[in-house]
Amino acid sequence: MAPVVQCMGLTKTYGRKIALNQINLNLERGRIIGLLGPNGSGKTTLIKIMNGLLKPTAGEVLINGQRPGVDTKLRISYLPERTYLQPGMKVLELVQYFQDFYPDFRVDRAFDMLARLQIPPQERLKNLSKGTKEKVQLIMVMSRDADLYILDEPIAGVDPAARDYILHTIVNNYNRCGSILVSTHLISDVENILDEVVFIKYGSIVLHAGAEQIRRNERKSVDQFFREVFAC
Amino acid sequence: MLGKLMKYEWKATWKLLLSANILTVVMTGLARCMVYLMGQTGHSDFRMVDFMAVMVLFTYVGSMFAVCIGTTIYLIHRFYTSTYGDQGYLLHTLPVDTHHIIIAKVLVSSAWVIINMVSIYLSVIFLLATSSEIFHSMMEGMVDMIEYLGAERISAFTVIMTLIAFIFSIFAKVLKVGACISLGQLSPNHKLLLSFAWYVGIYVVEQMLQSIYFVVTIYYQEKISHSDYWNYGSYFDRQWETALLAGIISCVVYYVLTWYVMGRKLNLD
Repeated sequence: MAPVVQCMGLTKTYGRKIALNQINLNLERGRIIGLLGPNGSGKTTLIKIMNGLLKPTAGEVLINGQRPGVDTKLRISYLPERTYLQPGMKVLELVQYFQDFYPDFRVDRAFDMLARLQIPPQERLKNLSKGTKEKVQLIMVMSRDADLYILDEPIAGVDPAARDYILHTIVNNYNRCGSILVSTHLISDVENILDEVVFIKYGSIVLHAGAEQIRRNERKSVDQFFREVFAC
Repeated sequence: MLGKLMKYEWKATWKLLLSANILTVVMTGLARCMVYLMGQTGHSDFRMVDFMAVMVLFTYVGSMFAVCIGTTIYLIHRFYTSTYGDQGYLLHTLPVDTHHIIIAKVLVSSAWVIINMVSIYLSVIFLLATSSEIFHSMMEGMVDMIEYLGAERISAFTVIMTLIAFIFSIFAKVLKVGACISLGQLSPNHKLLLSFAWYVGIYVVEQMLQSIYFVVTIYYQEKISHSDYWNYGSYFDRQWETALLAGIISCVVYYVLTWYVMGRKLNLD
């Protein structure tokens, strides 16, 4: 079976600035992969290209062997770094929206997670706090049975207690046949859930290895190793 | 998926735009009451009620402009934020074709433009029709004008085709805004400013083409009729063809531009 993600010579430039430089990367199925790098390293650019929100300058990315398009969007569940919700919508309407467009959306799972967080379905999104909006967005994304979950900085804007809930939600709700790609620079928080890590620096992949392999070979945690690699 | 996109586009816009139409109805009622009160006071003295009536009529005219301009600004803002703003992250990751996204937005926006225009026309007609003196003199004036122009020979077919051409012109206007906003996205910086520049540029080109067309048709019309007197009936009988053709060409050009940027050159910040 083909890897869930294949990047071949993927390059993205903005004028003279190189955001991604000849990325070659294969991500296998059934893995939780951390895309780790400092701010401005190209994590979000890579993720946007996978989702078809940006067009590469050169090279190609394949999701399930296909270029980004309607078919790949059916199989990717994407959590962007920003809030993409319509403020006037009610939580219930958002659930219906996802149910209408994504055949793999599990309504029961969504309501279960909303109930556990005590988020009323009749509440309008504009009345929710920023953190709660992010949780609602995560619930929508994790209520799908996707082949690939792409989570861009899912814990960046929330307090430590909420981080635990978010990571718990991610680990307990994803489709086991699919993969999760988590982008973050808060490594210590996510380290324990990762199977693999991809280090990205100045738009280039500097390391792609198993999390356990790093701990064994380097005798350091992934977080410590990351600090060493990206030391200023 | 087109139906679902249209449903959610409608749901996202109906509350505010329906409120604008309710405002039109309320202002029409108020204005009509004031016209009635003015009629009751006689013409000899200018009293407080006359002053209030004049103020209400001014407010009525202002609110009609506000509804038109407000609707336009709202629809442009909605297109921008839902397509290229933060909400675009959701829209462009839905498993739907780019064609469906564009068509849904154009149909719903055009529907609102038409609804607003109809409600404002009906409001003005209601005001005039219930003020019998003004309405009768206007109707007489219109009949005289039709007779003078020889336009009474305009067929029902022409009227229907003119309406279709008008609807296409609405689609073209909505698509033009969409195309300009989309073209502005091609720049890494100052995207809104560039969108505005595209709009101005396209508007100037359109006006130039329209002027050239009018000069040429007037020249040929005069040559064909061999006289200074025009038969406006036969002239207008053929205008829908040009209007429809121009509308369709505009729709195709602006649609392709929008689709090209949204489908092939999408670069969400």
